[in-house]
Amino acid sequence: MTATLSSRTSVLTPLEEAVAEIPDGAAVGIGGAVTAAHPMALVRALARRGVRDLTVVAPTAGLDVEVLVAAGCVKTLVASYVGMEGVAGVAPVFRRAAEEGTIDVRDVDEAHCIAALRAAAQKLPSLPWRGGAGTSYAEVNPDLVGFEDPVSGEELIAIPALPLDFALVYAEQADEFGNAQPSGAGNMDQLLGAAAARVIVQVERIASNEEIRRDPARTWQWKDARVVRAPFGTHPYSSAGMIADVEHLEEYVAAGREGGEALAEYMRRHVGDAPDHDSYLETIGIRRIASLLV
Amino acid sequence: MGSYSVNELFAVLLARDFRPDDRSVQIGANLPMARAAAVMAGMTSQPDLRVILGLGVGNLADGSVPTVYPFLFDPRSQVGEALMVQERVFEDAERPDVFFVGGLQVDRRGNLNLFGIPDGEGGWKLRGPGGVALATMSTNCAGYYIVMPRHDPRVFVEKVALITALGDRTERERLGLPGGGPRFVLSPLGVFDFDESGDMRIRSLHEGVTAEQVREATAFPLGGGEDPPTTEPPSAEELQILRERVDLERTLA
Repeated sequence: MTATLSSRTSVLTPLEEAVAEIPDGAAVGIGGAVTAAHPMALVRALARRGVRDLTVVAPTAGLDVEVLVAAGCVKTLVASYVGMEGVAGVAPVFRRAAEEGTIDVRDVDEAHCIAALRAAAQKLPSLPWRGGAGTSYAEVNPDLVGFEDPVSGEELIAIPALPLDFALVYAEQADEFGNAQPSGAGNMDQLLGAAAARVIVQVERIASNEEIRRDPARTWQWKDARVVRAPFGTHPYSSAGMIADVEHLEEYVAAGREGGEALAEYMRRHVGDAPDHDSYLETIGIRRIASLLV
Repeated sequence: MGSYSVNELFAVLLARDFRPDDRSVQIGANLPMARAAAVMAGMTSQPDLRVILGLGVGNLADGSVPTVYPFLFDPRSQVGEALMVQERVFEDAERPDVFFVGGLQVDRRGNLNLFGIPDGEGGWKLRGPGGVALATMSTNCAGYYIVMPRHDPRVFVEKVALITALGDRTERERLGLPGGGPRFVLSPLGVFDFDESGDMRIRSLHEGVTAEQVREATAFPLGGGEDPPTTEPPSAEELQILRERVDLERTLA
């Protein structure tokens, strides 16, 4: 028997089907950084499903966390930042949930997040880190453990592994076998995937395997991946070909700060009542999307 | 404040303070005056400087002027000599050399709080955005600058509610932290550094600011004498470089 490309298993998956496998209580990592490359189509689909009690690991987050918190999906949040830069110093729904105690926030430094994901990927219980020694990190996040290094005697922090059930990440393209290629820096996404039992990668386009082979240095591979096509799916955040939608973020922040009916209306319009990704894009409009293309 | 804005003054003071062996500088989100300072230094006194601006790493000795975008990680910032990859940025503890930080509170010992104000019952009275990478950067960098956009007794406090970045010289020495700690603190009222014991003191006051005024705006006793020097204002040449070559959109004005 000879293996052929046609006997290879395709992992192309429709958006709703891919997130349907994420159960209540799962540990879910979300890729992207600040206002760039968050897999927002996956996040909105997850919020729409109404899963509960997630542990969300979002290294440098914003609207991704906001949507999940507003939809009531989040129990515990591990993040180093939740905001929208100049549009909102602190993300409004996150702020209210943290202050009212409706979510459990585990503060980490960006480098702690890397150490925790690396430990998970390497099946280690923890990795040591110095940044944060002498600070209040261990006080605001009881998962972090100060210890004396057995080699040097220095006071360091043990960063416990953060194993993920799922990582939701964005790449520019992937083939149907799960070979993903980011465009540009890639943030922490490859590592998020390595720390996860399964990766769901959202892409602009499906590439042929032959096309992937032309630039193998760019390829990310994980042990178990699903590939979901969602063009312009980082909106309102940026991708390589699209800048962030400042106006949309400002509208969201105003609704988020007001809360109540204003926030509910945003969530209905862009999440709940948009049954799929194409419907979401219709709520934004082709003129707006076109105006954001680089 | 005369013929320049506070942010223009901040940019010039930060640009002036770069050291000959500062090889790389990284700028975080929401600090346009620090971004302008790094660019200004890179195109004048620091021809070897690598400037990490958003997702790109550039050198500005070729006369290129990086465009300023509303968000740090704009896809159009993926230009320069190399890319900044978040996952690998902490692999070399000796890069970058220089960093800038802001915060909700700064205290007498130079500690900074970005977490927020706890309510004393395990929750938050006021929740900040999170510490981003300040704890790691402030541990390792050769030096960092604390840039505070406001100066009042709720911001310049005796002791921060929580420490996100450890500035306290005594504690840093005890822990053997490799970095050099805070170089100075900037506020709209003046420039502040630390005495031998590690307490904050006035280094200079900006034009028109009195020692009495700054001490009233600070919740702890500030050293530096009764008649501190005046901050050297931006020269005409510095303002010209800043406005005509760096801050073309006049976002700092």
